[in-house]
Amino acid sequence: MIQEIRDLVSEKLKKLDGVVALRKTDQGTAPTLFQEGDDVSQLVLEPRYPVAKTVSKLQKRFKDAKFGVVARGCDTRALVEMVKRHQIDPDRLYIVGMACSEEQAETCYCAEPAPDLDPWPEADLVGDPVPGAPPNPMVAEYENLSREERWDFWNQQFTKCIKCYGCRDICPVCFCDACSLEDPLWVEPGLLVPDFPMYHLIKAMHMTTRCVACRQCETACPAGIPLTVLYDLIRKDVGNLIGYIPGADADSGPPLSLTLADAPIDSELAK
Amino acid sequence: MTNSIPEFEDAKCVLITGSNTSEAHPMIGTRIMRAKEKGAQVIVVDPRTTQMSMMADLHLKQQPGTDVAWLNGVMQVIISEGLADQEFIKERTEGYEDLEAAVEKYTPEYVEEISGIPAEQLRQAAKMYAEAERASIVYAMGITQHTSGVDNVLSCANLAMLTGNVGRPSTGVNPLRGQNNVQGACDLGGLPNVYPGYQSVADPEVNHKFEEAWETELPDEVGLTVVEMVELAGTGEVKAMYVMGENPLVADADINHARESMKNLDFLVVQDLFLSETAEIADVVLPAASYAEKSGTFTATDRRVQLVHPAIDPVGESKPDWEIIQLLAEKMDAPGFDFASPEEIMDEIAALTPIYGGFSHKRLSNGNVLHWPCLSEDHPGTPYLHKGTFSRGLGKFHGIDFTEPAESTDETYPLILTTGRIMFHFHTGTMSRRSEKLNQEVSEAYVEMHPKDAEQIGLNGEKKVKVSSRRGEIKLAARVTDRIKPGVVFIPFHFAEAAANALTNSAFDPIAKIPEYKVCAVRVEAV
Amino acid sequence: MDYSNTQTICPFCGCGCALNLEVVDGEIVGVLPANDHPVGRGSLCIKGWNAHSFVQHEDRLKTPLIREDGDLREASWEEALELVADKLGSIKSEHGPDAVGVLASAKCTNEENYLLQKFSRAVIGTNNVDHCARL
Repeated sequence: MIQEIRDLVSEKLKKLDGVVALRKTDQGTAPTLFQEGDDVSQLVLEPRYPVAKTVSKLQKRFKDAKFGVVARGCDTRALVEMVKRHQIDPDRLYIVGMACSEEQAETCYCAEPAPDLDPWPEADLVGDPVPGAPPNPMVAEYENLSREERWDFWNQQFTKCIKCYGCRDICPVCFCDACSLEDPLWVEPGLLVPDFPMYHLIKAMHMTTRCVACRQCETACPAGIPLTVLYDLIRKDVGNLIGYIPGADADSGPPLSLTLADAPIDSELAK
Repeated sequence: MTNSIPEFEDAKCVLITGSNTSEAHPMIGTRIMRAKEKGAQVIVVDPRTTQMSMMADLHLKQQPGTDVAWLNGVMQVIISEGLADQEFIKERTEGYEDLEAAVEKYTPEYVEEISGIPAEQLRQAAKMYAEAERASIVYAMGITQHTSGVDNVLSCANLAMLTGNVGRPSTGVNPLRGQNNVQGACDLGGLPNVYPGYQSVADPEVNHKFEEAWETELPDEVGLTVVEMVELAGTGEVKAMYVMGENPLVADADINHARESMKNLDFLVVQDLFLSETAEIADVVLPAASYAEKSGTFTATDRRVQLVHPAIDPVGESKPDWEIIQLLAEKMDAPGFDFASPEEIMDEIAALTPIYGGFSHKRLSNGNVLHWPCLSEDHPGTPYLHKGTFSRGLGKFHGIDFTEPAESTDETYPLILTTGRIMFHFHTGTMSRRSEKLNQEVSEAYVEMHPKDAEQIGLNGEKKVKVSSRRGEIKLAARVTDRIKPGVVFIPFHFAEAAANALTNSAFDPIAKIPEYKVCAVRVEAV
Repeated sequence: MDYSNTQTICPFCGCGCALNLEVVDGEIVGVLPANDHPVGRGSLCIKGWNAHSFVQHEDRLKTPLIREDGDLREASWEEALELVADKLGSIKSEHGPDAVGVLASAKCTNEENYLLQKFSRAVIGTNNVDHCARL
């Protein structure tokens, strides 16, 4: 698969201004903008980085450029959410979609390991799509807890938080210049451990219609807080309540920016 | 550190003292949290409540400056309860009798009188540490920055040896170094008594080796420490100072005195990124390139040597420090300073420094992780020290008695001040205070004090206070919190405009010459 | 048009976390963690995430400065180094090498610390070299 992607990227670089992908050098591996003439044999597919954010950053800076990106299923979901929020221009983007392997899907408890490329004007898929992996067993365990036990669980988990903002900084769909987590009105600055539950609930609330379940926040969390247990449940609730799954559907706008009249609230579930 | 950072995760007991680990060394703090989740017991001995103490199994709040007493107490319990590792003591150590005799009188009840730690808690801590299969001691400047700093460190070593917690993975005595290359600056001879690799300047053989290599005559008398240099600048014996990337006028103890002393110099050169408080009084300031603009290596606290890569060109006309030193040496017609790159400098280091003997930039690339001692090109490096034997052969126990800190409280200065770092800033703040994100977390100095002490001076809520010691005074905000012991106040030292070090005592440890930042007597008044 | 990451080591505490500096056309725009590093394993603390923010700060010293009539003024490297070499040389010959003190740095590289102590010992001729390990 890797060779196929490298070849495709080489080919596309003739027409594009660059392709965002991971590059491995003797220093390590990180995202880079490959351009024509660059050594694409350095292009690799692991580990994961928030490339949707990189694309957004580059599109804003180079307003006429057309870029490509090597993207997994979670990356394309993030790209979709960023398009809806006007952070990415889909007409200036080409996608090399990469279907994750079964093993990769399992590691991430990923329900949709293959990128959905239908919404994109220009895209190619490399690799054979595999079915979704089973969900994180911690979610079911958590759902068996009582309200008090849940409170204790999170209280204990969030006591480990060192307020690095890594969960936000790595998040491929967090892009605001002014962040509520840094607003003294909501969160007291300079406090370690940060306010429980305000700091974490604000973050979770802001993920409700955005979280694309890429789970990079958990990798970035130095304290090993199982953040996606919370976010998975929120995704589930939002899915059940208003039928919205972040990243899945390019045509439906972010629900919080619709009026109530437009919002397809399931009146039974809303009770 | 005797052991490496990843090893913490598999410790069965971690004893943290004099370290606000999750704030000053966050990635070590979170490792210890993981260890706890995997079943380790965590003991914190600290006069302040910290994130680590909140999650610890035991938090012992000692009176600042009483570390030898409680450490002796822990050892007294271990010995009297038969928990010492007799086999380790017999095979790998000497001087046990001295230790046994010295700690005998430090019963938990006696230690409680000195340190304020409840006797029962001390007993619990001793058992927790001694009974663990793999126990690790973690400390930072809270142990070393005392007039009894060396005694404190030796006491930690005594405790580890007494229980056989040395020379194995996830054990050891682990001082956390506070700056990204403080370990390397020590390793590479940035000390007045040793050449690179801790080779003594007073050893004729070593001296000869360096004279041959550097093709010049070299001094064989131990030089001055920073504390002594500054002192002798005041008396006129030191005429000139050359300062590379340091800010002693915020970092030194008793900085009002330090400033007067350094102003007395005939000539002061400062090489820095910014016009620091020290650069402000310099005669020549040389613009240096930052870590992001140069190559080379840094050595982390666990002796891990790692490559640094330039991301951008030097800002303005600034130059990497190594280039500046070379240009200066050239101007002074000195041979031996014509390296084309840091890579070449490392080759000379490896040739002259046995513990770095196996390092080269090439070998360190591709994420290759190596800890010194790394004696040759095919040596695998040493993640943990003292396996099978100590560097001196047998580990030596030291019988140590508790001594009081240099300064005690009285009616005029009734509170103890202790200083330290916070999560959001670094050292004298020249770098971190120029970060918008870090500054929006904490932008000004504050003093933490207990509600009881605040009430004593009629303070309600957060207000401005004046804190004074026998050496100076500062005005800053008060944070009233029960995170600190009554009778003790804490000030982070990052803030030059309300510098904690205007108050601190420059009395120092007679051997290590480290000032007693962690204990001085102060008065707090509402203003 | 250029975007790349350079992996290097955090300039703050002694944990020695690797981090990536994100550079667009010569400007450091952010930090990414290093997923393949044994200490951070893809995470950083708040200082690490902001390790880029002071590098290109407007306060950075851009030229050498020399004190003249009480104030610091801009100077060329040639002039500044000439002055330092002269002064250190004359103080050494008048008062002996031990009248000079040198501070190495816990923030500079191993290679730089090596060179500075070599300069102190071999060029000035004094073991008066120390750094802030104690502070």
